[in-house]
This record gives sequence, structure tokens and C-alpha cells, in this order.
Amino acid sequence: MRRAARAACLLLVAGTSFAHPAPNSILRLELEPEGIRAEYWVPVSELAHARAASPVAEPFSAYLLRHFGVETPTGTPWRVIVGTVRDSSYFDHPYLVADIRLVPPAGASARDFILVDDTVTHEVRNHVLYVVAQRGEQSDLIGALQFPARRLPVTAR
Amino acid sequence: MLNRTIVTLLGLIAASTCAHGHSATTQTPPCQAADTPGGARDIAAALDKLRPLLSDAQRAALYRPLSDASAIQWSNLPVGIVPREGLRLGDLDSRQSQAAAAVFDAALSACGSLLLQQVRLADDYLLPLDKRRIGWDGGNYYLSVLGDASAKGPWLLQIGGHHLAYNFAFNTREPGATPMFVGSEPIRFEIRGSLVEPLQAQSAAMSRVAAAIASRPEARLSGTFTDVVKGVIVTSEPGKPPTGGTDTGFPHTYPTGEVDRGVKVGTLPVEQRELVRTAIASFVQLPDPGISASLLVAYLEPDALADTYVGFAGSPDLGTQGSYVRIDGPRVWIELVVQRAIALPGQLHYHALWRDKHADYGGEVRR
Repeated sequence: MRRAARAACLLLVAGTSFAHPAPNSILRLELEPEGIRAEYWVPVSELAHARAASPVAEPFSAYLLRHFGVETPTGTPWRVIVGTVRDSSYFDHPYLVADIRLVPPAGASARDFILVDDTVTHEVRNHVLYVVAQRGEQSDLIGALQFPARRLPVTAR
Repeated sequence: MLNRTIVTLLGLIAASTCAHGHSATTQTPPCQAADTPGGARDIAAALDKLRPLLSDAQRAALYRPLSDASAIQWSNLPVGIVPREGLRLGDLDSRQSQAAAAVFDAALSACGSLLLQQVRLADDYLLPLDKRRIGWDGGNYYLSVLGDASAKGPWLLQIGGHHLAYNFAFNTREPGATPMFVGSEPIRFEIRGSLVEPLQAQSAAMSRVAAAIASRPEARLSGTFTDVVKGVIVTSEPGKPPTGGTDTGFPHTYPTGEVDRGVKVGTLPVEQRELVRTAIASFVQLPDPGISASLLVAYLEPDALADTYVGFAGSPDLGTQGSYVRIDGPRVWIELVVQRAIALPGQLHYHALWRDKHADYGGEVRR
């Protein structure tokens, strides 16, 4: 699945709608010295499948907290703070976008961690989470998760 | 002797597969002609007849180097979204089209050739119905030769467009007929006076398997399926257009163990095992037997078939969005999913994928 990170060919979408019936999720990370600012983009259509399968009725932020986390390489959890959740869209697909603040435990590196996530992928078998590191205008695809994988080690430069 | 046995076996299975109900649709012919061996030599000969009919630019499009990167450049997205390289079939004049058809005849069974025609017709059907610049068009299908078809080294024949990707490998580490993607939007349609249902044989065979095992609790796979699981990869990033749409996820990992893989075929009664054989054959019979007969033998070998799992999700009759059937063997991986349609709101469409866990791209692509 990490090979997907090498995907390079730009799809020709200018002036067209994006004809893909199964949109994927995107986690955009901005690495800062003391932690990480993140945006979690979740397609509404696929989220609906995932939440329909869940016995728990809860706000999206609570659902996200149950399925998304970060931990140190030795397994100590980071603090995850879900802030604003807003509606957006990406090439015709409605998305929910959550602003997230990730704070490492005292003494832990903010550059060396493990993403632990099965948001949507716990239910939708073809769904993929792409993880992107944003540095100013530049962004790099650093990995992807699809069921049954739910852990992505990240060592930032 | 072995080849004759393989062809006979394929013929028997093909006859049973293709004989199923086409009363309302175009008749599917038997899936191979016993007197045409097919395979690399015949394809190379047909290519030799096509080559002199092409312009320099067309030859350059048709013949390209084989590399890991060029091999994985197939997709199941329309060409307006994922552009294809290769010789565009819609640009060929009548002599060139005839010569290209001879290549298809050498590379495909009658069922495989018919499917190519019908999938292209489906795109023609969508063209006037969806004016977005997505690339619906039966002309937007391509023929490519990666590597040197006249030499002893490995080479790939690719035939593909929006809803079809044939990837046949020759002189490779393993005989290779995969990855093979086939899809259909709409599922059935009337065009030029004929009712067409491109994946009738495959969907009916997979549906019969699902219906047969539906009463077994372990047959129902966990989770929801909105597409095939081992398909092409579209990478998205907010603020930027999607990228990829090709087989950048290759090589894939596959389920192991016995949990959540469906029912083991070895536990099924004989008549249900036969349904699985027929479903596998409905895909494996699409290439010419010279390409895929040995694969069919490997998949249906008694121990391999007994160790194959079949599972489903959604409705066994494949009548609802999210219905899904999967065959997961020691080598063979076949999945078919029912999705919502893109061009025709409210309708459904099929995506189906055949992979070989050992021999995608003939085992030649090592990423």
C-alpha cells in the first residue's frame, strides 16, 4: 500500500467532474516543533456507510476520537484534540473536515510517531486514508492505510 | 498432449459458462475456437500485419518499452480522467481496424472479444447521455505492446480503456493474463436495436455462487464494499486535483487464515463447487486459451480449488448497490462489486477484477 505514495500521474480533471464513486479520506499534517496541526477530510458518502454499521450514535468528533489516534513508537498515546468540524467538498464529493491538534507526551519527539487509524476503514473495505505532510506550499504523500492495516509509522524529516 | 487436455478442459467449462441465459441479450458465442491455438506467436504475427499499416506516430504509440511504470498504467476510470497511452482504436481507418481486430482475435477468446466490443458499446451509449468531458467514447480504447513482441524477452499486450483492462504477459517468469479489470455502465442497455449486457456471464456466475452459499453464516464477508478492494489507486489531496488512478497499489497483500474469507470451497457439495468453477472460468476464459488455459488448470486443480474461499456481501442477486462477491484462492483473486452509476443517476454499474497472486504481469513487475 505504501507504493501508492509514489503515485504521480495527475488526473485530467480540469473542467470535468470526478467520476469516481468511492472517494477516499485524506489526513493533512502540518508538523510543528511542539506537535501537529491536522486536517482530517472524510467523504460523507463513505462515512455514512461506516457510521451506519456502528451501534453508537454520537457526534462526528466523538466518532473520530474512537477511531483515530497517535502514539509514540513505544506505545504512549498522544493527546488528540478535535476542534472545528466543517462541511466542504472535493471534486463533487461532500466531505466533513475536522481540525485536529495533536500533542505528544512530555519528552516525546513530535517527528517520530505512529498514526493509529481505522476511521471509515473499519467498515468500508476498499476505503483508503492518504496521509499527507504539508510544509508551506509543498506537500508530500507519506503513506496510506486500507483495511486491515491501521498503523502507519511516520518519521518526519 | 497436455495442451490438448487443457484446451478440452477449458472448452468444457467454457461451454457450460457461456450457455447460461442470454435469451434476452446478445448471444455469447463459445469462448474459444478449438482449432486456433492463439498465444504469443499468433499475436506477434497479427501485430506484424498491423505495423506496416500505421503511421510513425501510431507505431510509436503502439510499441513502447516495458518497464514497471509502463506496465501498471491501466485504469478503470474514463480516459478524460486518466489518459491512456497506446494506439487509439477510434483513430484507426478500416484497414487498420481490421488488422487490429486480428490481434484481438489472436489474444482473446470469442467471449473476450465480445466483451471488448460490448464494453466499448457501453461507452458509446453513455456519450450522448452525459455531456461532461469525462471521455465516454467507444473510440477511447487503446492497444499497446510493451517490449519487443518479436524477441524472446518478456513483453506485455495491453488492451484497455474506461471499463476494460486486459494485461497479457509473454515470455515472462509465469504465464500472465492479469490484472484484468472489466466493468459495465450501464449494466444492460439497448443500442442499435440490440439489448446488451456485457458482464452477464460473469455477474450471473458470481451471483449463483453467492446464492448457493448464502445460508452459510461464514459466507457473508464483514464490512461494506463500495468498489473492488484490490483496484487502482486514486490519490487525493485537498486543494489539488486527484492523482494516479492506476495500479500503483501493486503488489498487493491478500487475506490469510480462515477468518472473514467466506466459505472454503472444499466444504461445499459437488454441485456448488461446480458453480465456483464456472464463475472462475467466466473470467479466465476471456483471454485466448493459449494465454490462460494453464492458469485455469492451476486454479481448478483439486487441492487449489478446495483451498479457495468464496464470500459475499449485500444481496446475492447483485441487485443492490454494495453487493459484492469474491473468490479468493491460493492464486486466484476475483471480485465483483455493484456500484452506483456515474453517468446515469439512480442506476447501478459493475466493477470486476481478476488478479493472480503470483503472476500479475507475468511475475515480471517487481516494485
